Amino acid sequence: MKSTKILLVVIVAILLAPTSMAQDTITVRYWHTMSDPETAKLDEMISMFEEANSGIFIDATRYAYSDFKEAILTSLAGGEAPDVARLDIAWVSEFAELGALAALDDAVENFNTLTEGFFPGPLKTVEWDGQHWGLPLNTNTQVLLYNASQFEEAGLDVPSTIDEFVEAACALSSSEEQYGYALGGTYFWAPAPLFFAQGGQITDEEITTATGYINGEASVQAFQTMLDMYNDGCISPNLLGGGIGTAEGHATGFYSMIIDGPWMVDIYANDYPDFEVNFALVPAGGESGTSSSVVGGEDVVLFADSENIDASLQWINFLMTEDYQLGMAEVGVIPVLKNLVGNETLPEYYDVFMTQLETAQARTPSPHWSEMDNAINNAFQYMLRGEKSVQEALDDAALEIDEMLAE
Amino acid sequence: MSFNSNPGKVKASLAPSENPTIKYVKTSALIQQFTPYLFLLPGLILFLLFIVLPMVYSFRISLYDWNIIKPENSDFLGIENYSTVLTDPVFGRAVVNTFVYALVTVPAQMILGMGVAVLLNQKLPGQTLFRTLYYLPVITSWVIVTLLFEFLFNSQAGLVNYVLQSLGLIESPIRWLADEYLAMIPIHLLGIWKGLGWTAIVMLAGLQSIPESLYEAGAVDGANAFRRFWNITLPMMRPTLVFLFVVLTIGALNVYISGLLMTNGGDPLDRTHFVLTLMYEETFENFEFGRGAAISYLLTIIVFMISLVQLRMLNKEVDV
Repeated sequence: MKSTKILLVVIVAILLAPTSMAQDTITVRYWHTMSDPETAKLDEMISMFEEANSGIFIDATRYAYSDFKEAILTSLAGGEAPDVARLDIAWVSEFAELGALAALDDAVENFNTLTEGFFPGPLKTVEWDGQHWGLPLNTNTQVLLYNASQFEEAGLDVPSTIDEFVEAACALSSSEEQYGYALGGTYFWAPAPLFFAQGGQITDEEITTATGYINGEASVQAFQTMLDMYNDGCISPNLLGGGIGTAEGHATGFYSMIIDGPWMVDIYANDYPDFEVNFALVPAGGESGTSSSVVGGEDVVLFADSENIDASLQWINFLMTEDYQLGMAEVGVIPVLKNLVGNETLPEYYDVFMTQLETAQARTPSPHWSEMDNAINNAFQYMLRGEKSVQEALDDAALEIDEMLAE
Repeated sequence: MSFNSNPGKVKASLAPSENPTIKYVKTSALIQQFTPYLFLLPGLILFLLFIVLPMVYSFRISLYDWNIIKPENSDFLGIENYSTVLTDPVFGRAVVNTFVYALVTVPAQMILGMGVAVLLNQKLPGQTLFRTLYYLPVITSWVIVTLLFEFLFNSQAGLVNYVLQSLGLIESPIRWLADEYLAMIPIHLLGIWKGLGWTAIVMLAGLQSIPESLYEAGAVDGANAFRRFWNITLPMMRPTLVFLFVVLTIGALNVYISGLLMTNGGDPLDRTHFVLTLMYEETFENFEFGRGAAISYLLTIIVFMISLVQLRMLNKEVDV
């Protein structure tokens, strides 16, 4: 009898234990698509956060970038979405329109003071319909990468204007699959730096129309410059698909110049340890004569159905601290806080990216961005294939985008 | 003819015969009728849960401007998704591309597969090795071999262009994947190469089920190798060939991974889409769940009708 009683007590204790424990701990589910070194660093950051915030555990799950959208959609459909996620900046408004995200304007304390600390470009990527659907988490942009020895051999200076850039690209091209410049494709991200640097625009400020912007004078001129370069054999044909990729082409000397992001440092360190990477600002053009580029990066978002809003917000707040931002910067993740510009703990190659970010522009924050991207991509293809003139192709794209915006 | 090709007789001899020594448990007629269904139940539940339910559910999605997060807020569109898809020139192009893919790869796999199967059926040294080699592409991941073909057909550094140029067949490199028609060549070749091994193995099984005595009788009657193939092998292989024809066609109409990887779905200009790559793009890139579901239903209807016609036309009894 006695042993039965003891057994009962033990069983009851076991049954009660997890529930009583669960009552004073909260688990925040955090999804992301970080690389190996970034994930390792994130684990350190999570321990730091958990130590400072007892009772809150971060359950971080890593996904492959290519599966991420699908994974989130599936989880949303099944009612199993994470609490917090790190999303590509181009996806935020799309998910916001779906109703998946929570607006942070009222949820976060002192929201307006907090947002003043961010670079304006990244901050714009969380705006949609007059509210903020997340916060900038990390940023990046593309700058010019040039092969210093090829420039030296040809007696050329690194171009600082578009005209010099075109000249250098053509001078460094020869018939033997050797090109002065290569871009990775026709999707907007690839021509975006040269497009923005020449004053190109996609829509008006309020994102109501594309007519007069994507087919405006500056935009047409920007694409005309690239088309002329392509027709003169100064741009690699790989942008139409099925050629040597820009990263390996640049490292192996096929392409003298490419335009790419800060991650190239780690990629080259791994794949081409002997290759010397050289960065410069995207050449300046257009009427203003200033350099520009395109903003990339990730935002952190809170899902609307989260049951742990307070703990999630605490985690999001932690991601905005200098501790976190500087920690991640060690593995090549560029911070979004303005006051970290010139911080001595940042790697040296950050300087050019931080300077470029001051003028870099965001892609249109619209739930229709994927389709808009496709329309511009198609226009670029029509030009390169000689099926439409630059003006015709962009006029058609403007009509297409206007239709999307009217929806 | 001297052999016995009546399968019914074999079956009859294998069927359980009445054995008076077994004692049957007495059960009511109802339970006796019910029992077999009970055994079917687990399979039936899985079938309903994982096949029928999603099919019905996705049909429902195809009638709405579907909101994945709050399905109750979805707008009912009726057949609008279907009419949008059917009038979309990109969908038309995708259907044409998919049919061309089937028309090229299915006959190619069957003709080449038959050739390989006949060779593998010979009693030659290293036979097992060759069977393994031919089957190897089948078990290799689609993703890996697609990337491999992409490298081979790389316009600037690919082996194919290098060989063609070395042989003096072309002067300047061909931009394979940049062209809407040329891009289909590596995709078709990949489909044929990848499916060949499986087709050949199934055909080999068919070949080996043909009684040797038929060939002996044929030889005695003075039939040469071609006559023996034409009058014995092909008719005896008919069920195998019909099976392969139907299954390969269904597989070809579902072409997806190679297109998605080789041309990013539809590059250039949405001209190289297949039905499924377009479905993926509408659903997961553009969030048009209703349209995506409509596309998959249209494909299902097409596949179903084609399979039905194929079976009706071809599935006659084998008569020797």
